[in-house]
Amino acid sequence: MSTANTLRDYLKPGYYDEFDYHWAMTIDLDRCTGCSACVVACQAENNLPIVGEKRFSERREIKWLRIERYWQGEYPDIKLRFLPMLCQHCDQAPCETPCPVAATYHNQDGLNTQIYNRCIGTRTCAVYCPYEVRSFNWFTYTWDEPLEQQLNPDVTVREKGVMEKCTFCIQRIRIAKDKAKDDDRRRVRDGEVTPACVQSCPTEAMVFGDSKDPDSKVSQMLNNPRGFKVLEDLNTLPSVVYLQKVEEQGHGHG
Amino acid sequence: MSVSVLEALQPFKKPVLLGLVGLLGFLVGDWANGRFNSDSAPVQPIEFSHRIHASENQIPCQYCHVYAARTPSAGVPSVSKCMGCHQSIATESPEIQKLHGYWEARQPIPWIKVHDVPDFVYFTHKRHIKADLECEQCHGPVETMDRITRVESLRMPWCIDCHTENQVEHGRDCWTCHK
Amino acid sequence: MANISRRDFLKFIGAGGIGAGAGYIYAESVKKTVEFLVPQVIPPEDWSPGVATWYNSLCGQCPAGCGISVRIREGRAKKIEGNPVHPVNQGRLCALGQSGLNALYNPDRIRTPLRLTGARGSGEYEPIDWDEAMTSLGGRLGSMKIQGAADRIHLLTGTVRGHLDLLLARFMEQLGAPTYLQYDYTHPHSLYAANRMVFGVDRLPYYDIRNSDLLLSFGADYLGMWISPVHHSLSYGHLRQGRPGHRGTCVQIEPRMSLSGASADRWIPAPPGTEGLLALAIAEALVDGGGYDGADRADWSAALRPFKASKLAPTIGVDAAVVAELTDAIRRAEHPLAIGGGPAAEGSHGTAAMTAVNVLNHLAGSLGRRGGVLFGADPVVADDWRVRQASYARMMEHAQIMGRGDVDVLLLHGTNPVFNLPQASGYTAALDKVGTIVALSSFMDDTTAMADLILPTNVYLESWGDDVPEPGVGLPLATLSQPVVTRIHDSRSAGDIVLGLAHQIGGELPAELPWTTMEEYIRHSWRQIYSVEAGGTDAGFDEFWKDALRSGVWARNRAEMEAAPTVSPAVLAQAGSAASEFDGAENDYPFVLQPMMTQGFVDGRGANLPWQQELPDPLTSVVFSTWVELNPTTAAELDLEEGDVVEVSSSAGTLAAPVFIYQAIRPDVVAIPIGQGHTRFGRFAEGRGTNPLDLVATVTDESSGALATAATRVTIRKTGERLSLIKTDGVSRDLGRQILGPAKEHA
Repeated sequence: MSTANTLRDYLKPGYYDEFDYHWAMTIDLDRCTGCSACVVACQAENNLPIVGEKRFSERREIKWLRIERYWQGEYPDIKLRFLPMLCQHCDQAPCETPCPVAATYHNQDGLNTQIYNRCIGTRTCAVYCPYEVRSFNWFTYTWDEPLEQQLNPDVTVREKGVMEKCTFCIQRIRIAKDKAKDDDRRRVRDGEVTPACVQSCPTEAMVFGDSKDPDSKVSQMLNNPRGFKVLEDLNTLPSVVYLQKVEEQGHGHG
Repeated sequence: MSVSVLEALQPFKKPVLLGLVGLLGFLVGDWANGRFNSDSAPVQPIEFSHRIHASENQIPCQYCHVYAARTPSAGVPSVSKCMGCHQSIATESPEIQKLHGYWEARQPIPWIKVHDVPDFVYFTHKRHIKADLECEQCHGPVETMDRITRVESLRMPWCIDCHTENQVEHGRDCWTCHK
Repeated sequence: MANISRRDFLKFIGAGGIGAGAGYIYAESVKKTVEFLVPQVIPPEDWSPGVATWYNSLCGQCPAGCGISVRIREGRAKKIEGNPVHPVNQGRLCALGQSGLNALYNPDRIRTPLRLTGARGSGEYEPIDWDEAMTSLGGRLGSMKIQGAADRIHLLTGTVRGHLDLLLARFMEQLGAPTYLQYDYTHPHSLYAANRMVFGVDRLPYYDIRNSDLLLSFGADYLGMWISPVHHSLSYGHLRQGRPGHRGTCVQIEPRMSLSGASADRWIPAPPGTEGLLALAIAEALVDGGGYDGADRADWSAALRPFKASKLAPTIGVDAAVVAELTDAIRRAEHPLAIGGGPAAEGSHGTAAMTAVNVLNHLAGSLGRRGGVLFGADPVVADDWRVRQASYARMMEHAQIMGRGDVDVLLLHGTNPVFNLPQASGYTAALDKVGTIVALSSFMDDTTAMADLILPTNVYLESWGDDVPEPGVGLPLATLSQPVVTRIHDSRSAGDIVLGLAHQIGGELPAELPWTTMEEYIRHSWRQIYSVEAGGTDAGFDEFWKDALRSGVWARNRAEMEAAPTVSPAVLAQAGSAASEFDGAENDYPFVLQPMMTQGFVDGRGANLPWQQELPDPLTSVVFSTWVELNPTTAAELDLEEGDVVEVSSSAGTLAAPVFIYQAIRPDVVAIPIGQGHTRFGRFAEGRGTNPLDLVATVTDESSGALATAATRVTIRKTGERLSLIKTDGVSRDLGRQILGPAKEHA
């Protein structure tokens, strides 16, 4: 590769000239009620361990998706706002560069990958992540019999010493691509793949799809003027866009 | 007063030689394990011979291994599949008697998995068969085997070599195979 | 190198040998453990390994009755999703529904029938087999029937609808045992009573939140745990952003911000027990301002005069200007809708408060209109489970009967009154007077632990059944429950146990209940549904049944709405005062207690689910604990910090728990979540937290007989001890980081 080409590549964000798919998600904060159905759906789908009281008290919980709360104002003019926070699958991910073994990198679908058996547990990526969405397995967690019967065979069960985080349900994306190939279609259609969180959301606040497909629902949501990215000025280029909650004005307190 | 390098290294000669002999022994031990205690051809609960079925009787692979082309996990033929023929064929053979025993008790035969990949790997038979791979390419000359033997390492470099050669779409992306 | 000493030679041999040994052991250690390839014996036709099958069924985690789709791999349930074709939840599912797998595969499920060997409540049981259990129980019931003492056999269940309810009713009837009660803490008795009084209906109407543009909720946590949270959440999402250019407004009126309050545009911290009065003040302003044009306007005006906002302002804590704003909003809205529940319905005059909400709906013109309160067709299964729902007053009557020793056999299923009724009720002591307590239960919970005989039941994922959800979605619908896995323990479904008992008891029972399994019974029952729908014929039922099994639900595709009932001003007098009364003098007990249900734990039933214990509470982010919520000002006045253990006392009881500083609660209110504090309920629930229901004084709403859980006053005492609350939040403030989006310019 010529020096000129190499230099040109470095100027482009991401690893690829063009993504094959570019999976993206929008979360409408005007619909989100903070009910946390998405959190438990993710736990069920991705074999998240039952960490226990002690680990929670040590701040060692493992949640790929969490609901953040932000209080605004003071009683009685008090408001509570929710923000579901998950791996943003940043196109300029701060976590990918520092991994000494390249256990996390950006793939051709615009996803930030995490390869468990390659990870050696330096935990550098978690330090670099500004959204703090990475969870580390400080222990090998077990399930009291017969809870392990529920584990999803399409998702690895992690051991002590590896980092984990939201994968946009790569196992579902893989199955959808597989099905598309079976049907002699080369492309997955909009709506054929939904991550567990998006599927469960009772208010339909979350939308997921291929942002390269101009007809997909997510592409339309990405054009919404209320859209914003969290910590946008850090220039991480997240693949998750939030739609700002509509605040009605002109009320006094009750 | 100066000393030559060889002279200076003299006291280390024995420990180094011991180390080398130890290392050589290690390699011999490793080889011996592979040669004499290999798990590539374990003893199965019934001495099923692929040579008799696939070569002598010319039964095609997918006649018994029905799921291979349609699912990610190929599975293994059901006991009823075996009984389909063996309710009447070769029933005096002691191995077939064992088969009848399992069938009568309605117990599945606990075959030992020879071609296994780790739990963190997603391998899909369906995609490989649909890519027109021959069974022998990965499983070796199965029709010559009396006891099924693993001939390829099934380790990642071996997979990657083939994915690279055949320019598999996204075949070198970790998440294609790692769950 | 030609001369090697013997010692050196031996060293080399040793080195080589150890090396070889190490190499051999190393090679052995990197071998994978032996894995087995286990085939099917006789493979099902449509099954392949590695490919999931899906079964549609009914969620049994709360009374909402959503439909579920369960993903099965190799016979094991892996994931529960909402059933996309079910009209109630339309493919969506709440956190509690997702946790159903924790119930199915719970390590503390009762796995075999058990007989008590020690003293009652000792927890000493021996396993027995089903034949012995059924023969002894069947024999006992049968002999009591013959002796004419069958009226001393009582049945107490949780909410049971659909054909299982009809089966139980028929069983008890044939037995000659008239007492069949249902006790469910979540059942909104006051709401039902108010609807009966104002609308003349025994069923809940359909609250069309989806098409509303102004939702006024008086205490109803419709997004959290009020009637049908997933359906309401779907409706809420649509109300907000489902109609481009038309965004609905939500107002929440309650003393403590609930999950629904957090999503409201306007949260009004009304004093406890005054929500109904506020509704009447708004109603008065509406009529007075010309917002109601019915012929009886003058009568309404007269009836509402005592509730003028200016007069009520000090009581309702809301000044007349705010009432005027709300009234204005109603007039401007095209589809205003008022709903009531939660603490507003659980005061000493909860029925009157709910009546006020119904009156407001009438005057605002929301009755029988899209986006308002819709009155729908009859349910497709003519069940009368509502009549069996026992209010607190009825439970106390029953407790008296038990206390007198008039109950020889009490059959229990799916209910936990020992946990849910306040200690001051004396229920547990009365229960102890029952001769033989038989529990049909999956878990050793507080009530099951009092049983003499325990028959383990299938969890809903292993059971046949059906359900007609209430209030559903306004069209006639029935959900089918089918087992998604074969039962994993030696349990049976409650219906099968009852059918088995019928055969054991003999007499006319086997003829009246001629089915051997629930599957048979449900199929038979749905044949009848089908023939009514098909106009009396049976032909085509097999196709219909196959479709029903495949989709998990049947619904008529057209809703038939009834006309709105007429409402007369006389209901106000009938309902009585909406002003709440409290137990305890304000001087001694300065705070009002609000024990609150959360979606994850409901009335305590979610405590044995590890995923729920691990799920940070949406409003506080606390896990694994009970906490006492105090307003920041109150905490400062009492010199309390988060984690300080306080003793909360009412006239009925005391408990100790750590403080949580909650930003959105009235300074004179103390809120404590319900759910923890089980004495028995498995490893995830036991020995954790405290039960605020033990503080509740036995005040009842006279009209409905419901326990007024929001009518107890309490006092707080700092104990000096500390107990760190485990929570995931740090400082929950944005601190100018614009995490929730760019700062807006305010007009």
